[in-house]
Amino acid sequence: MKRKLTPYLLLVPQILLTILFLIGLVTGITQSLGVIPAFGLTEPTLMYYKEVLTKPDLLKSVLFSLKLAFSSALMSTAAGVCLCAMLVLSRRTKGKMMRIVQLPIIVPHVVVALFVINICSQNGLLARVCYRLGMIGEQQEFPMLIYDSHGLGIIFAYLWKEIPFIVYFVIALMANIDGKLGEASVNLGANRFQTFFRVTLPLCLHAICSGFLIIFVFALGAYELPFILGATAPKALPVQAYIQYTHPDLRNRPYAMALNGMIIVISLVSAWVYFVLMRKNMKNLTIRE
Amino acid sequence: MRKKRVTVTNMVLACFVFTIILPVVVLLLWTVTERWAWPDLFPQVFSMRALAGIFQKGGTLTRIFLSSIMISSVVAVLSVVIGTLTARALVLYEFRGKGLIHFLTVLPFMVPATAFAMGIQIAFIKMGLNNTVMGVVVSHLICSLPYAVRLMMDGTAAVGDRLEEQARVLGASAVQAFVRVTLPVLVPVLLSAFSMSYIVSFSQYFLTLLIGGGQVRTFTVVMVPYLLSGERNIACAYSVIFLGVTLAVFGIFEKIADRWSRNMDTEFYA
Amino acid sequence: MKKRIVACFMTIVMIFGLAACGNNGQKEEDTKGGKKESDMTFDELKEAAKGSTVTFYGWGGDELLNEWLDDVFAPAMKEEYDITMERVPMDIDQVLSQLSGELQAGEKDGSIDMIWINGENFQSAKENNMLYGPFVEKLPNFEEYIDTESEDVTLDFAYPIEGYEAPYGKAQMVMIADTAVTPDLPKNTDELKEFAENNKGKVTYPALPDFTGSVFVRNVIYDICGYEQFLDMEADKETVKEAIEPALEYLRQLNPYLWNEGKTFPDSSTTMDNMFADGELVLNMTYDAFGTSIKIEDGTYTETTQSFQFDKGTIGNTNFMAIAANSGNKAGAMVAINEMMSPKIQADRYDTMKVLPVVDYDKLSDEQKEAFDKVDLGKGNIPQDELLSKRLPEMPAKLVPIIEEIWLEEVVGK
Repeated sequence: MKRKLTPYLLLVPQILLTILFLIGLVTGITQSLGVIPAFGLTEPTLMYYKEVLTKPDLLKSVLFSLKLAFSSALMSTAAGVCLCAMLVLSRRTKGKMMRIVQLPIIVPHVVVALFVINICSQNGLLARVCYRLGMIGEQQEFPMLIYDSHGLGIIFAYLWKEIPFIVYFVIALMANIDGKLGEASVNLGANRFQTFFRVTLPLCLHAICSGFLIIFVFALGAYELPFILGATAPKALPVQAYIQYTHPDLRNRPYAMALNGMIIVISLVSAWVYFVLMRKNMKNLTIRE
Repeated sequence: MRKKRVTVTNMVLACFVFTIILPVVVLLLWTVTERWAWPDLFPQVFSMRALAGIFQKGGTLTRIFLSSIMISSVVAVLSVVIGTLTARALVLYEFRGKGLIHFLTVLPFMVPATAFAMGIQIAFIKMGLNNTVMGVVVSHLICSLPYAVRLMMDGTAAVGDRLEEQARVLGASAVQAFVRVTLPVLVPVLLSAFSMSYIVSFSQYFLTLLIGGGQVRTFTVVMVPYLLSGERNIACAYSVIFLGVTLAVFGIFEKIADRWSRNMDTEFYA
Repeated sequence: MKKRIVACFMTIVMIFGLAACGNNGQKEEDTKGGKKESDMTFDELKEAAKGSTVTFYGWGGDELLNEWLDDVFAPAMKEEYDITMERVPMDIDQVLSQLSGELQAGEKDGSIDMIWINGENFQSAKENNMLYGPFVEKLPNFEEYIDTESEDVTLDFAYPIEGYEAPYGKAQMVMIADTAVTPDLPKNTDELKEFAENNKGKVTYPALPDFTGSVFVRNVIYDICGYEQFLDMEADKETVKEAIEPALEYLRQLNPYLWNEGKTFPDSSTTMDNMFADGELVLNMTYDAFGTSIKIEDGTYTETTQSFQFDKGTIGNTNFMAIAANSGNKAGAMVAINEMMSPKIQADRYDTMKVLPVVDYDKLSDEQKEAFDKVDLGKGNIPQDELLSKRLPEMPAKLVPIIEEIWLEEVVGK
């Protein structure tokens, strides 16, 4: 009996916080249905969703956001895992190297945007170096790496910030497993690289996928980078939501919330896919029973 | 063959380090730059305007800093503790509603802050938590906890509870077994979770403003308006301080964790 | 079984949610300490505000202004009225978010006292009963030094103020260029097009709905279509579109010569400021009419940088101070707002930040006039009488978002 209660006891603080969060979320959803009594909006309606869904550029925005989020997450995860492996195999998981890895994680997104502008814009350091080397004769000849309609600048910014995030997110676990199990399997005659790919990496897969999902969902919902580094059109979904949110007429709020609602739905669908894919993996990892 | 592999590794790592460091160096340069027009590789006009302005406000800024560090440390410790509990429940036990709760722990990742912030604000006002440090801590906790839970779940799953059970068989209590056996092994993961939570809290702008109502000042609340203002030298100066202080805090906590885990280790094996 | 737990959970959530949603729609009617602020005389307000704290919410990205508020205005308020001023840097949309949250939750002793606001935000806040007022007639400096009849003070983006906000400073759109790089400055939209053709890829404007980008587009509309017809135009998308069609055509023709061929525009005026300072652009624009001299002094702009306007004039507006409907310290806020309109403070703002003053020069004593006369505007600025003689009124607030929407649909990338 006691054993049965334990998990619930362990979960008490988590559940309290979750309830708070859900209260916030429910209020947000109510607002997207056009119920904000403070502004005299009381009748629930699906009008805002309808209007948002029939906007001509909406589909473009959705696809753009998905493309951005997916490519940022995929590239960051792949590069991050490779780097992480290198660090673990060359036993550089502590000290100075980690300090450097931490750096991008603590840099706020707005500052990352500043970095990308400083380096990659037509006025940035790269363009200046090219000019000095005689590769371009005019500022305008430098390719538009930021503010372009493919969102290259945004992806650069995410890569700079999220590759180290993946390294940081996975390295503690990877080093731990590699240290413990690696030794054992090396003792059994396997070579270090075999061990890494056969033993360590599969055990870290779950953490790696978590990292991917976190980046994907974050990039899908965050407005800062696409707002500062994106083109005027197409606009990422969160940028549209943000512009509606900051619209001076507060009665425009439901549009912002409806757009947010769409972001949530897309995130949830991706999360569901993730859970389905992970279920098998989860069972392997759940040690009990 | 082996040597070649080592050189490749070193080169890739060097590139990686260079890419990270370069923008930061430019950032440092900008703190003393007033004009840096095309096509020069170095700034034309330097000035100490930004730094002078910040030093003038030294006293207030230090106070704001100390309170920000306090708030974020509390958030980080709480979210590591709660994260560890949640992770244990989710990884080591089977119970009803597990799937749902697991799902709810990740949910805050997927919802843009603007979507739930307003609702939380209203709820907090009713509970009398708005404009208080306590309220800010709780709201930060909601955002940082998912990171801690994810990291702790992966860590807990990797460590498992077999060792703990052996300790139980040998007569240790449940708490003893956890503290003596599992915790020391978890230290690196705990540290990651701590740092992630700390940074999520420390850079939280929107929620701090809304829940703190401008009465609870954190460094980010002071800094972000400059970042958005286009005054690059002031923005860069603030960013440099932000980075320096955060790295220092991480360093200190790493030292503490290191010493602590070493003590635990020796105690255990002796 | 699992379903039941889910159901239980959702019920709990819904109950909490409903509790959070209910109990709203309160109106401003709080009386603190017996007497309402609206019944007090100014002296009584001063007395009531003694020893209190006033929060001032507003945009915090201007270091010069922040320093001035902290180092000049706050100490003056402390000394004269024993009021502690607390500046809270926050964008106006967040201020209104916070305020609407507080009002929705029925908070009576709100955290926001004074708000820096104007235009569409004011209209929206006032229409949603988020502001306290009318209060300006109670303030002696308003009656004594401000031209209470002028449209700069009675209208905010053509929306009647009715005593709900007091003037803080004046702004006017000007354009900026470096005369060493481009000696000929455009005097109208035709010349601007020529200017863009000659400096292909180095001219642009911030993407709407940025404040400055938006006013630039309105200025182009005024220059091509005249401004009178807009002052009482109905806020209807089709009507507006028809009226501004010639200007839209002009903007589309301008696109090929713009930065990145008009496919993309800088995200904000601050980004554009930096691009201009870096030499990536040859034209800049700002609402801060006298800001050029400050940037020259700092070294951000070159000595030869000059601000200028169209011959037909540029749009000017006033920014204001308002009081939150649920402010916990309305008396203190009123005293602070009154002080902000005093000739001494206005002259100091004019001197340190080159903000166009809101006081009526003719209403000042000779001594007070002198304080304004002796201010040196510095390099690069348009003389004040010339600037003000070419000042055009803002459009009605409701038209602004409509134009922004049309611009996005009809101009970008076309």
